[in-house]
Amino acid sequence: MRSDVVVIGAGPAGLAAAARLAEAGRGVRVIARGNGFTHWGPGAVDVLGRAGGQVVERPLDAAGDLAAGHPYRLAGVDALRDGLDWFQRVAAGAGLDHEGDPERNRRQVTALGTLRPTCLLPAPAARELAGKVAVCNFTGFRDFSTALCARGLERAGLSTTVGTVDLPAWNHERYFTAVELARALDDDGFRARVADGLARAAAGADVAVVPAVLGLRRGHEPWADLERLVGLPLVEAAVAPPSIPGLRLFAAWRARLEALGVRWQFGFPANGVERAGDRVTAVRSEGASRTIVTRCDEVVLATGGIAGHGIEAYRDGTLAEVVAGLPVQGFPDRTAFVSPRFLGDHPMGASGVRVDAELRPVDRSGSPVYANVRCVGSLLAGHDPTVEGSREGVALATATRAAALLAPALEGTGGR
Amino acid sequence: MTSLDTQVVVVGGGVTGVAVLRDLALRGVSAILVERSDFGTGTSGRWHGLLHSGARYAVRDQESARECIQENTVLRRIAPHTIEDIGGMFVLLPTDDPAYAPQFVAGCAQSGIAVEELTGAEARRREPLLADRIEAAYAVPDGGIDSWSLLRSMVADAEARDCLALQRHPVVGFERDGDRLTAVRVHDKVAGEDRLIGCQWVVNAAGAWAGQVGELAGVPIHMIAGKGVMVVMASRYVRGVVNACRKPADGDIIVPQHEVAILGTTSVQVPDPDDISVGPAEVDRMVDMCAEMVPSIGSGRVLRAFAGSRPLYKPPSAGGDGDGDTREVSRTFTVLDHATRDGLANMFSIVGGKLTTCRQMAEHLVDQLAPRMGVTTPCTTAAELLPGADHGHHELAGPLARIEADVAYGELVCECELVTRGQVRTAIAAGLTELEDLRRALRLGYGPCQAAFCAWRAAGALCEHASADADAEARLPDPQAALERFLEERWRGQLGAVWGDQARQALLNQSIYRGIFDLEATGEYDEAAAAGRQRQPGPARGDPTQRAGAELVGESEGRPRPRPAEGTA
Repeated sequence: MRSDVVVIGAGPAGLAAAARLAEAGRGVRVIARGNGFTHWGPGAVDVLGRAGGQVVERPLDAAGDLAAGHPYRLAGVDALRDGLDWFQRVAAGAGLDHEGDPERNRRQVTALGTLRPTCLLPAPAARELAGKVAVCNFTGFRDFSTALCARGLERAGLSTTVGTVDLPAWNHERYFTAVELARALDDDGFRARVADGLARAAAGADVAVVPAVLGLRRGHEPWADLERLVGLPLVEAAVAPPSIPGLRLFAAWRARLEALGVRWQFGFPANGVERAGDRVTAVRSEGASRTIVTRCDEVVLATGGIAGHGIEAYRDGTLAEVVAGLPVQGFPDRTAFVSPRFLGDHPMGASGVRVDAELRPVDRSGSPVYANVRCVGSLLAGHDPTVEGSREGVALATATRAAALLAPALEGTGGR
Repeated sequence: MTSLDTQVVVVGGGVTGVAVLRDLALRGVSAILVERSDFGTGTSGRWHGLLHSGARYAVRDQESARECIQENTVLRRIAPHTIEDIGGMFVLLPTDDPAYAPQFVAGCAQSGIAVEELTGAEARRREPLLADRIEAAYAVPDGGIDSWSLLRSMVADAEARDCLALQRHPVVGFERDGDRLTAVRVHDKVAGEDRLIGCQWVVNAAGAWAGQVGELAGVPIHMIAGKGVMVVMASRYVRGVVNACRKPADGDIIVPQHEVAILGTTSVQVPDPDDISVGPAEVDRMVDMCAEMVPSIGSGRVLRAFAGSRPLYKPPSAGGDGDGDTREVSRTFTVLDHATRDGLANMFSIVGGKLTTCRQMAEHLVDQLAPRMGVTTPCTTAAELLPGADHGHHELAGPLARIEADVAYGELVCECELVTRGQVRTAIAAGLTELEDLRRALRLGYGPCQAAFCAWRAAGALCEHASADADAEARLPDPQAALERFLEERWRGQLGAVWGDQARQALLNQSIYRGIFDLEATGEYDEAAAAGRQRQPGPARGDPTQRAGAELVGESEGRPRPRPAEGTA
């Protein structure tokens, strides 16, 4: 097998890099172990929610002030701006409008009733919370508690009521997941009946908060339709995984990649490379019965950090990058992986592969290990995507930068 | 100050104290048990869950072995619902001394323990993950026992017979008149005031803390705290208990318990029973030793590690404290009559022993106490079934079968431990308002995901209950603060055990609580821990100064901190 570029990983960074490279005319093959962070996240585009423990209001400004090794400093704020702009265009083209301005953070309501700082919000999560807020759930949906969410919103100074929407009869097991409910809400008839109940549950309120389950396969259409039927602004609250907004986005990405002719090898992780001199000549991956070897000119490594299986953390405190054996700074022993506080900053969350200004992995002395490998997304050292709330922004900025480096014809910034 | 009056005060809410309370209750004696924290937060809740057959002691300590097999049989009859009837096996590895095997078989026979030699094929049929090379394997009637379930049943039985068990009532002193104690002074941590319990007799069943209680009463009791480290694996690995067929040593037992396996254990003398810190080197040693018997454990996923303090007693005549390995101290138990021993007329202590023999320990003690009280009713604790005994043995798939069979059984709040919303609601309605209490009552948050999905669901259930009930509303802790407390308590036991998949789990959990839910540390947790004071007033809080209440790693002053690796660079 052969491909101009092999992209390893199908989280936000790998998907964005593959799409941008394919748009620029490069032949791309994506090799992915499984679903990436789209499925696990809050379903928004975080750029920089916190820096130095403080909530950030102006993420682009703050991104430029980060430490020198931070991915934003390497990719450049222009690449970040360009990546966000590109994302908004492409998502809107797929029926997934995202609202927001990279200059200014917004707030996303969560199932805990907190208001998390983020940058771009999918339209169903973007309505303003003002006046009387009705927090509503669907009977039997166990991953959202109206009382818990409302209590959090009250704590944040909002005035709330709670309500429950009985679901019409539908075909499900005794209890059901967000995915099943979201799929059911794709159906016009089902949704119309739900709308009646939701209107009653939210009567007298100015806006209704519901769990993020309003439709799966038809973009934001089911939400928009429900809003019309109920006659109230509806806000989807972020719930625990799986993320329905993330699933919507993933489906749109995948459709776009397929339309662009990107080949897709899913469920079989890359587990090694072949090299000649300072270049990777092929990527090895697991197959059903044998190792698959994909020859390539360039590699984009988007395997994620420890959480994404890109890095393995061993019990002696060492860390290893799993595909190409890239150098990763480990720890004296494993107790140093973590903070004594669960809600603290775990040092392992910020560990990763160090790269040069062209996103090439470097060794201890700062020299590139491979000339044709670019690292993007949470695999990169120098940032903790959860603690600072930067995951999607870093993914888009570094994917944009990598694509510009590998497809010089690409319109945009950060090219050679 | 409020006061109470009773015939006997029992100090200590572990299995021994609770078994004494039940024994007294069954003989018609009025008694009050006082416990400094929750039931079973000391050694009774910090062990591997083995219902001993006695085979472990068959070579070196046959008195203990005989006690174990007798009580093993009794507990299976009176408390089957607390027991998983999974059997056990001793395996002789090529590296073990082959001469130990015939001694082991003979010792079991002399102690009355049924032992059956298994062929290699049969051993592997029973335990498919055993090491490729084993020299011999012996089946013994070991089992698994849930001490919290046993404690709850015994407390319920005693309370149904007009005895009382008070949690969060540490003893702070004794009132004495001549050679008699007249009252026990306890501190009611909920009300924040002292209470005086007038009594004719005192039973000290404080286990590893018996020396401290003795000191308050003015009688010296030399307890040895024998620290045992245990490691929790993310799945069971074995169908029954697997033991190494060798002289008792570190890392020689694997006990499957509910959804996990517990590896045990060490035996090291520590100066203070509250010193239950665990270093990474101890975790590694447990894993490596047990992997010799079941190799897949070596690459398996460790969930957490914890330690408990064995309540070992060394009689004054027994000489020095030895070299720190406490395995030479007998695991049998001793009743101390402080009248003959110390001239204190109305106090007994019970020291040593082990969970399997708790009922027998209580019987021996009360058999000595009762005649002095003029009570002639014989002990009936071995015959009377405990509440819940009609359910038969606990089976792993039992909750799943109930969910499958009963449409109304309800949704799962905790998938790992199969805890339903109905169970959570019932527990909340019964007055539990802290997530930690729900954990102990329901096993919420024990499984492989370590509360990634259940804690916020349970927090939701707490809020819903409070919304419907004004009294509950008043008692409800702030849900975000409650989540923080719970997550930090759970985290403490994981500190030495985070690598591999568990590192991924930790980061995923953080991305849920901190990333999605934007739960920020309040700082209150740190301040409270640093000050060594109670973090949350109200009935639902353990006392952070009493470190036995949680599984700790690297903790010795009520405040966790990372420990350097031992013996490695």
